[in-house]
Amino acid sequence: MSSPSAVVTGARELTISQAVNEALAEELRRDPTVFLIGEDVAEAGHPFKVLSGLVDEFGPERVIDSPISEAGITGLGLGAAITGMRPVVDIMFGDFLTLIMDQVVNQAAKIHYMSGGSLKAPLTIRTTLGASRRSGAQHSQSLHAWVAHIPGLKVCLPSTPADAKGLLKSAIRDDNPVVVFEDKMMYTVKGLVPDGDHLVPLGLADVKREGEDVTVIATSSMVHVALSAAGELERDGISVEVVDPRTIAPLDRATLVASARKTGRVIVVDEGHQSYGASAELAAVIAEDAFWYLDAPVMRFGAMDVPIPFSPVLEDQTVPTPERVAEAALRLLGKGR
Amino acid sequence: MPTEVIMPALGMAQETGKLVRWIKNEGDTVTKGEPLMEIETDKVTVEIEAPANGVLGGISAAEGEDIPVGRAVAYVLAAGEDLPQVVAVPAAAPVQSAAPAVAPTTNGSSTTVEPSGRRVLASPKARRLAREHGLRIEDLKGTGPHGAIQAADVVAQDAPRVASAQPVTSNAWKTMADRMQQSWRDVPHFFLERELDATRLNSWRDMIRRRPGYEKVTHTDLLIVVCAAALVEHPRVNATWRDGAVQYQDSINVGIAVATEESLIVPVVHGADRLELKAVAQSRGDLVARARDRKLRPADVSDGTFTISNLGMFGVDAFHAIVNTPQAAILAVGRILDRIVAVDGEPAVRPTMTVSLSFDHRVVDGAEGARFLDTLAALVEEPAGLVR
Repeated sequence: MSSPSAVVTGARELTISQAVNEALAEELRRDPTVFLIGEDVAEAGHPFKVLSGLVDEFGPERVIDSPISEAGITGLGLGAAITGMRPVVDIMFGDFLTLIMDQVVNQAAKIHYMSGGSLKAPLTIRTTLGASRRSGAQHSQSLHAWVAHIPGLKVCLPSTPADAKGLLKSAIRDDNPVVVFEDKMMYTVKGLVPDGDHLVPLGLADVKREGEDVTVIATSSMVHVALSAAGELERDGISVEVVDPRTIAPLDRATLVASARKTGRVIVVDEGHQSYGASAELAAVIAEDAFWYLDAPVMRFGAMDVPIPFSPVLEDQTVPTPERVAEAALRLLGKGR
Repeated sequence: MPTEVIMPALGMAQETGKLVRWIKNEGDTVTKGEPLMEIETDKVTVEIEAPANGVLGGISAAEGEDIPVGRAVAYVLAAGEDLPQVVAVPAAAPVQSAAPAVAPTTNGSSTTVEPSGRRVLASPKARRLAREHGLRIEDLKGTGPHGAIQAADVVAQDAPRVASAQPVTSNAWKTMADRMQQSWRDVPHFFLERELDATRLNSWRDMIRRRPGYEKVTHTDLLIVVCAAALVEHPRVNATWRDGAVQYQDSINVGIAVATEESLIVPVVHGADRLELKAVAQSRGDLVARARDRKLRPADVSDGTFTISNLGMFGVDAFHAIVNTPQAAILAVGRILDRIVAVDGEPAVRPTMTVSLSFDHRVVDGAEGARFLDTLAALVEEPAGLVR
């Protein structure tokens, strides 16, 4: 069910890490077919400590430490999903999606279709994206566009603790394969999470900040880059609307387009590489459905089209920053600095 | 001697003509009879043909300029001929940069800014807003990047421009406005209306359309023939009020009101009473097409003695038209529709149309108008005598 939480008694401040942990614990508690599998998910509680304590409550049979074989555990997860379980497969770094592409793209995404609807694959893959952690070129990529490109897969990009919890719970309950990307730099980000069974429907964007002059469509941690730019621009008297798609597949075109039509100026910010990325798709949606309302070209920011450098000085240059987004907004408004 | 290309006088009282565009450019070889330029008078847009064979040179009028009739705007030079001295001076001394901006140049390009050249930089939103506000994007000034017109430029310029938002009112529209105002002010109008049975008119059209050469006959064509025949019997309706007296006309010239993009215009089928239906249809088709293409010649819109205005195709049941002075009457035609009428004391369904005649009471009184309408009605309801 993709309805907002039925019982909301209030809200608590949690980190994204705590919110994810809660989401998993609640689903493990609620549904005995849910289990976790991945590298270092049990005793170690995950390198980012997201899963601490879960093995204590649910035991090593439902929180399973696996060998280092992403392809193996994803294939295992898919088989379990097809046969009635709701596995959550943990892929520590999004960069390792390269290793599970056959299981995800050729198998998980296709099985419902190719079985004529007789099989379902309620598989959730939790993984990470994002640079700036000094992790090097093979541990810093944001590859969500690869997955979003494939029909049959859903892609979540939470930006707040509430969305991280609500989207993950919806993903686990969804009958389709869903890939949830968490930004590895955001686990300590705090925010209010509604009490109760908090669900965020897949395919519903969220206006994170209302504004009149420019729309910034941002995903995952880039939402915070956009909000920071919006705060900066507010001092210049410019009102920025920040729209977070939350899931890029399915995509809530209507909310994006409505905002673009309202402000007439759109900047898309996404941490995938700029070329052929999610930002291009989002920009195209705006161009198609809001063209006659645009007062300036749609601009987009992604990671530079280079391998993410290990050098901190260089790495910080490759990803979109609030300063660059704010500059772009000023240019679109004809007020270039 | 070079042959002058002059701004011709196309109408009696015409003082200037507007040069709409040059069809040929400076330095082009032209043949006598080939269109050189397009000019607009108060009534029509006309192509002016080359008066001789040769090379077009010494262009001294810019597009959009109003030029006194009779003035030379260019020359056609035969082999070995030079431009007359007065024009040749700036052309022969291009280094003297003091030459005025409108001086002819020798490189063949017009001195005016080409309006159809680069696309105006404007955002999609600005274009939409301009369209919604009835503004031409070309008339706006942009303050965006690279001078692009943005929404704010449209909004900023719209307020003061509202009053003058349509500076492009064409001469043809102004002429129509003046004439309608003058007619409504000066002509004592009265109106006669009657619902006619169109059964026979319909069958006449359906039958005649099967004949080769008649495939495109319209109700309007039939009405031209009908009106012309009625006017033969009622020359008073074909007359005009001039200098305090009724003046009869020598010929019956039936005008057709045509709505074009820029104005209402009334091309005329001359001698309609003497034309066979096929010729009427051809003439009307040709005139309407040229009216829409702005290709009417002055003669096409001159000397009308009676006008038909048909709004049936717009679903209008009946309307009253303003007399097209100096004519004495105009026929307003509504749509033909199956309606319930009494036939021999019983309700029956018949195709009917309501026609309304507007008269200049100085020329035609009510009784004469009614007699004309009766003749017209009889011919519409039983056109047998006209069918050949």
